[in-house]
Amino acid sequence: PFLSPQGDSGWTQSSFSSPILWNNLDEELSSQEESSSTLQSSTDTESSPRDPLEDKVTDLVHLLILKYRLKEPITKVEMLRVVTKEYKNQFPVIFKKASKCLEVIFGIDVKETDTTSHLYALVNSLDLTYDEIPTDDHSMPKNGFLIIILGVIFIEGNCASEENIWEFLNMMGVYDGKEHFIYGEPRKFITRDLVQENYLEYRRVPNSDPPCYEFLWGPRAKAETTKMKVLEFLFNLRYHPPPPKKKNEQARK
Amino acid sequence: MQGSTKRMGIMTDVHRRFLQLLMTHGVLEEWDVKRLQKHCYKVHDSSATVEKLEDFINNINSVLESLYIEIKKGVTEDDGRPIYALVNLATTSISKMATDFAENELDLFRKALELIIDSETGFASSTNILNLVDQLKGKKMRKKEAEHVLQKFVQSKWLIEKEGEFTLHGRAILEMEQYIRETYPDAVKVCNICHGLLIQGQSCETCGIRMHLPCVAKYFQSSPEPRCPHCNDYWPHEIPEVFNPEKEREAGVSKSSKKSLRSRQH
Repeated sequence: PFLSPQGDSGWTQSSFSSPILWNNLDEELSSQEESSSTLQSSTDTESSPRDPLEDKVTDLVHLLILKYRLKEPITKVEMLRVVTKEYKNQFPVIFKKASKCLEVIFGIDVKETDTTSHLYALVNSLDLTYDEIPTDDHSMPKNGFLIIILGVIFIEGNCASEENIWEFLNMMGVYDGKEHFIYGEPRKFITRDLVQENYLEYRRVPNSDPPCYEFLWGPRAKAETTKMKVLEFLFNLRYHPPPPKKKNEQARK
Repeated sequence: MQGSTKRMGIMTDVHRRFLQLLMTHGVLEEWDVKRLQKHCYKVHDSSATVEKLEDFINNINSVLESLYIEIKKGVTEDDGRPIYALVNLATTSISKMATDFAENELDLFRKALELIIDSETGFASSTNILNLVDQLKGKKMRKKEAEHVLQKFVQSKWLIEKEGEFTLHGRAILEMEQYIRETYPDAVKVCNICHGLLIQGQSCETCGIRMHLPCVAKYFQSSPEPRCPHCNDYWPHEIPEVFNPEKEREAGVSKSSKKSLRSRQH
C-alpha cells in the first residue's frame, strides 16, 4: 500500500525510545543544569516511560520550528505557555535542550534579539553562502531590493537606523504595511525573511528607550558580496537603469 | 555544534538544510524532493555520494522519532503523485494549524472538513461552506471574508479548489488522517485496497466499496475487464493511468524549467 495510514509506514524504526537522545544531549550541555538525574541514569534502551520533562522539550521544539516556518519571532511568554506553569522553574533547562535540538537537528539558532522584552529570533546557523536555489519563493527582483538596502547601510557607516531605512524605502515607493506587488509586505521581508536568510542583521539599539532598531549587513551578505560590488550595482541603477519590468514578472510572485 | 552523539551523528548540514527547506515548503512532490536532496548535497557536502532517497529519509526519521515528528510519504488522491511532508505526529487535532489561523478561521476549516467527509464525492461546494458562516466560533465572519480565508487554506495547501468546490489537499490528509479517523469514525470512508483514509475516489455501484484513483489504477493495471474486488460486478468507471514520473518528465520538458521548488497547484 502506498498511502500509508497512521505512522506504521516503515519509515520510522520502532522499539528504541528517547532516553538515548536526551542522554546524549545531556553530555553536550554545561554541568550547571539541575534536573537531569532521571535522564542520565536511564541508559537502558528499551521502552522506559518517557520523562515528562522530555515531553515539554518536545512541545517547545514543535513551537520553535513552527515559528521558524512562519518566519516570526517568539517571546519568552509564548514559550512559558507551552512549557506550562508546572514546569516553569525548569524552563532554563527545557529551553537549553530545545535550543540544542534545533541546532543539531535543524541547523537553526534561537537568538535573543531583545533582552528587555525577551524576544527571540530563529535564524539559520548553516553556511548558506553557496545555497543559490531560490528558497521560500524568493525570486530575482527581490535581490535588487536587498542590494539597495545593503547600500544604504554601507553609506550610513555600516549601520543604518530603521528610521533611515524606511525613509529611503519610502522614496522608492515602498511603505511599511503596504503590500508591494513584487516585494510583498516590506516590514516582514526586511526584518524577518532577510534576517532569517542571514543577509541582514536587525537589532535593538543598545540602551535605547523607547526601543529603536538598526540594520547591519548579515554574515551571508558579507560572504556573498562586497561593498564595492554593491556600490557598482547602485551606480549602474542610477546611470544605466534596467529596462522597465514586464507584466509577467509581476505575476510571477 | 556537530552532533558527536551516536544517533544524531548522522545529522550533517546536508540533512539539516534538507529539513529546513522541506519544512518551509510544507509539502513537496517526489521529483522536487529528489532535486532538493541533490541540491543539499551539492551545497553542503559535494564530495559525498547522494544517498538513496528512501534511506536518506529513514535516517532522518530515526533522529526525528523522539520528537514525534516524521517525514511522511503519501500520494495525491487525484493523480497518484508521491508527496512528502514533515508531519507533527503529537498533536492529533486541528490545533496543529492553530498558530497560523484565528479561532473563527479554524472553525471554518472544521466546518469545511465535515462537509467534505460527509459528501459523496469528497468535495464541498463553496456555497454550502459559506452558508455555515453564522455558526462559527469566535469573532463574527462575513461571507466575503470567509471566501478570502478559504483561499488562504488553498494557498497554504490545506485545501484544493476545483471549479468552486473544495476538497482536502494531500498534505492535510498526511497530517490529519489520524485525527480525522478518530473524530469522525462513522462518516469516514476508507479505501478497499490500501485501507487508507479516502476523500476522493471511485465506488462500486453494486456493493458500495470505494477505492482511491491511484489504487484503482494499480489494481486494474493489467485487467482487460475490471471487476469489483468485493462483489465481482463489472467496474463501471474509467480506469486512470498509473502515475509514471518518467513519462511525466518527458512530456513536460518545457514546463520543468518553470517548475522551481514549488509543488504543483492542483
